[in-house]
Amino acid sequence: MIEALPIFLDALSFVLILVLVASGLVIVFGMMGIINLAHGELFLLGAYTVVVAQGLGAPFWLAAALAPLVVGLAGLAIELLLVRFVVHRPLDTILATWGLSIAIKQIVVLAFGPGSHSVAVPIDGAISVGGFTYPAYRIVLMVVATAVIAGAGYVLVRTRMGLLARAVIARPDTSANLGINTGRVTQVSFAVGAGLAGLAGALVAPLISVDPQMGLGFLVPAFLAILVGGAGSMTGLVAGGSLVGGLDSLLGGWVSPVLAQITVFVLAILVIRLRPGGLFPGRGRRP
Amino acid sequence: MNRLTPSFSAATAAVVFVALALVPVLDSGYWTGQATRYVLFGMFAMSLSLLWGRAGLLAFGHAVFFGIGGYGMASLTMGLFGDGTVWALLARPWVALPVSVAGAGLAAAALGWFLFLGRGVSGAYLAIITLSVAVIVEQAVRGVYALGGDNGLVGVPALGAWAANPFDPVPMFYAVLVTAVVVYVGLDLLLRSRVGALLTAVSTNPDRLGHFGYSVFAVRLGAFVLGAAIAGLAGAMFVATDGFASPSLIGFGLSAEVLIWVALGGRSIVLAAFLGAVAVRLAEAFLSGLLGDFWLLALGLVFMGSVVLLPQGLIATPMLWLNNRLGQGSKSKSRAAPGPANEGMV
Repeated sequence: MIEALPIFLDALSFVLILVLVASGLVIVFGMMGIINLAHGELFLLGAYTVVVAQGLGAPFWLAAALAPLVVGLAGLAIELLLVRFVVHRPLDTILATWGLSIAIKQIVVLAFGPGSHSVAVPIDGAISVGGFTYPAYRIVLMVVATAVIAGAGYVLVRTRMGLLARAVIARPDTSANLGINTGRVTQVSFAVGAGLAGLAGALVAPLISVDPQMGLGFLVPAFLAILVGGAGSMTGLVAGGSLVGGLDSLLGGWVSPVLAQITVFVLAILVIRLRPGGLFPGRGRRP
Repeated sequence: MNRLTPSFSAATAAVVFVALALVPVLDSGYWTGQATRYVLFGMFAMSLSLLWGRAGLLAFGHAVFFGIGGYGMASLTMGLFGDGTVWALLARPWVALPVSVAGAGLAAAALGWFLFLGRGVSGAYLAIITLSVAVIVEQAVRGVYALGGDNGLVGVPALGAWAANPFDPVPMFYAVLVTAVVVYVGLDLLLRSRVGALLTAVSTNPDRLGHFGYSVFAVRLGAFVLGAAIAGLAGAMFVATDGFASPSLIGFGLSAEVLIWVALGGRSIVLAAFLGAVAVRLAEAFLSGLLGDFWLLALGLVFMGSVVLLPQGLIATPMLWLNNRLGQGSKSKSRAAPGPANEGMV
């Protein structure tokens, strides 16, 4: 039993990372219906913020706290300069954000080169339980990710800001009639979604190689996790993320990682096709 | 509406294809070889224009069918399956070509059946699912050792016209150009017929089309299969031209590229989509050397700008403007009203 623990911890940490990456997307895509193909690049910007801040001598946790602010501001700029003009043409949003993702990736290549960077692990050492050891940073990451996901869910469901966001997202016309500044709420929601992606990128950066192509690898699983769980709710995302991420990670230790990913994607497509609302349909706007 | 008159459409197509036919006169070596590839990418773009611009199906994994045509052609002509009588027959390039095209069509029929049956997927869900399919297929092909894995299949025999003298790209270029003209004329006639009206209906108001007693499923599936078959034809001829089938032809990268070509050219006009592919490839040939890493940045920015400001496409917009300008004398403003094609449909 104790031998299987690292495998389950790996799976759990992958699930939490995936849910963290997708938590920004669930607001932007799942609820607002904006198919943001540049979400992977927002994640990428978060990781590069840490690279830059560490290069300037900032400690990791300061850099990680800075990342959501930087990327959130970038998200606000993206909403103001691009998304606002195409949001009423959903399919064109896909194209515009795809163009944006190419541009961001290429700006990063121009600024930092196409190669990969590494971020120093902020917490060295390992925690030893029973007969095996597990990297301490992964444990910390799992705790932080859980807190952030729970916090995002709390803000959405229990606060006035979350209520406004959900109102505008579900019934934009009614909300406008009730005097809510829907444009402002949309901007803030988009920026928060971007900030969450940036935070995810910063927290994951020490565990993976930070390179300009890192966004795409997370983009597709994140979308699939949201659709499998049911677009439009944090509960759905956690369920979808657990299925997509957990199965991928567990199968990957058993068969080859490529075969695992293919299996998971095929299963996810089957679920999405047979249950278009997802496993836990939310009340958000559906594209 | 956003359609060209038949005479304007025919005139511009004639100008484009005659100009392309003159390429070997100017340079019968390198640029003819390049032009062959551009025309094939243009054909690929035409097939996406049919799917996306007309049937309203935003397929984010269209290169899967280009790649199936390509890998079908490569594996059949290289005799990867064995030496039996049947396989020997299928290894002949002119037999392998239609078989590969049929393979792409069948794959599309299977995927389309799964996607469009009943309360089928469309819109954003279709885009995300086809995007995932492209990622899956590319990874699968990269993992299959018999198909060359990451290296792909090298040494695909050339088609008959070129096989006589593999160092002369001119015969293959004309074979490809004639194929492209045939595909273009076929698509143009098809889109001006009842089928074109059905496709417009299925993209604008599928529910109402269903109320009229048409099968939305059949129209979507038909468009999907035809688009895939044309993509497969372009892929098969591309591999025979290059002598090389690589996993990058079947995956997400090329799928996204063709989408950019079609969006930049103009999704709703087949010729504009064709020109979009040719123009972007040509621009890349000249500018990627000049601009280096800035080229992709420029492409991304131009693409973004075009989607926001000129959603009809950078080539289709001036074409439509010129078309409407020339048509103003004879037809005045009647083009704003439903055209005769729409009345015929109802």
